[in-house]
Amino acid sequence: MNKNGLKYGVLVLLLAVVAYNSVYFRKLDEKKASAATTKFDAAAYADAFWKTKLLPDSGKAIELNMLIQELKTDKDKAFEAHSHALSIGNLRYFLVRGTGKITAIGDHDVTVLLANGPEVTIATEYVFGNAARDASGQIRLTDFDNTMDLNNVSSEINKIIRNRVVAPFKASAKTGQEVSFIGAIELNREHLHTDAIEVIPIHI
Amino acid sequence: MNKLMRYKVLPVFLLLTGLLVVGGCRKSSGEKGAKKVAVIISTLNNPWFVVLAETAAAQAKSLGYEAKIFDSQNNTALESDHFENVIVSGFDAILFNPTDADGSIVNVMKAKEAGIPVFCMDREVNSVKAATSQILSDNYAGCVAIGKYFVQTMPKKAAGVKYAEILGLVGDNNTWNRSKGFHSVVDLYPNLKMVAQQSADFDRNKALEVVESILQAYPDIEGIFCGNDAMAMGAYQAVMAAGKAKEIRVYGFDGAQDVIESISNGKIMATGLQSPETMAKTAALYADEFFKGKRDFPQKMPVAVELVSQANIKDYSALTKRN
Repeated sequence: MNKNGLKYGVLVLLLAVVAYNSVYFRKLDEKKASAATTKFDAAAYADAFWKTKLLPDSGKAIELNMLIQELKTDKDKAFEAHSHALSIGNLRYFLVRGTGKITAIGDHDVTVLLANGPEVTIATEYVFGNAARDASGQIRLTDFDNTMDLNNVSSEINKIIRNRVVAPFKASAKTGQEVSFIGAIELNREHLHTDAIEVIPIHI
Repeated sequence: MNKLMRYKVLPVFLLLTGLLVVGGCRKSSGEKGAKKVAVIISTLNNPWFVVLAETAAAQAKSLGYEAKIFDSQNNTALESDHFENVIVSGFDAILFNPTDADGSIVNVMKAKEAGIPVFCMDREVNSVKAATSQILSDNYAGCVAIGKYFVQTMPKKAAGVKYAEILGLVGDNNTWNRSKGFHSVVDLYPNLKMVAQQSADFDRNKALEVVESILQAYPDIEGIFCGNDAMAMGAYQAVMAAGKAKEIRVYGFDGAQDVIESISNGKIMATGLQSPETMAKTAALYADEFFKGKRDFPQKMPVAVELVSQANIKDYSALTKRN
């Protein structure tokens, strides 16, 4: 009887140990937090891209006047040499630089007359799209399995531009003022218009 | 003597014929022309998908391959049968337009296990480990452009402006990528107030009914964003019937010929022009590159969507004359 009691006691103890180690409880918010750590952080990626790739790379931006001339002389060659895009198709992006005089300040943009060149606008309201993400050609599509991550990167870069570039520029811009800028532009290879170029500013 | 000759000649003839057949087979298996490409399409009832299928097959043929089109009739079970036939029949690559983002994964995996590369076109499967590459319209970016144009062209009123959104199939990834792209812009402008968001399954007639009921509940809306052009046409029809064509702006997505014409006539504000031709040609080119040894394809290859609006419709006037 004592022997049986001991046997059952050991068995119960063994089962209790197995059961204790098989089931554990965690708070739901802790579980969610740990899951979130594996999620792609578009804001952090955009910030690192902005500081370590886009700004250092902006020295490679082509002079906007020169680009316009090249587009007029040999469109295909200019697109081949200077444009980038993560997507296939007619929409291509260029990293450009320019210097000129502010001729108008509107609600949505600032018009700049380029030195020895045409007027272009610098966007101050509608900073959207993939121009700033793609223009430098520094992001590789094969690094991303999920296109929504890429979309979020664009959105975060545009947020950086609105906060760090556009806001101080809007506050200080005055008609007649001389400005130098580096920015990204979108051009359509099939339907090319160089008379209404809008620059998404990266550095002013 | 003649009989004897016949007996001697016949085996030699058969042997030579056999050698020629075997030699011929060996030669053809090493040739580019022997590769077979299957084009499996969700449905051939929709002209948009017919363009996708025919362009993919034509591009594969122009690259020197045999190509055959299979119609899944929007039926995942039929699609599964096509995959089994394609695997058994010795096809070398599949250019694929799935019927279901989740339901089609198993079919793609079957092909993968059989060593056959699958290149998705236009519609994706919800797995990054199944297809060799997925060539898809950049729906999100296309709708960012539409969202920007929407904000620029909607009326500005201190009291706010109401609008409605008509969604496509709620289970379709494209529906939500389009909606998210649009809202990534429009939601930054709190003056634009969405009062209704309803699905019309990408269907023109359903959109007509849905917008009719929305107009009864919210007669003061001033804009309608639709997740595709068929629904934009249905929405415009409802707006016309209510006598509000001048007050309510309608925006679509796809680049369908009737909507391009409607933009040209000032009826519809804008659409996002997709390119089934680009997706189909790219898929066939990727298959060609795969046969030649390339393996590092991007899992998802976006294809740019161009904004066609009242502002740039002249650039796209040729599309109003498409057959």
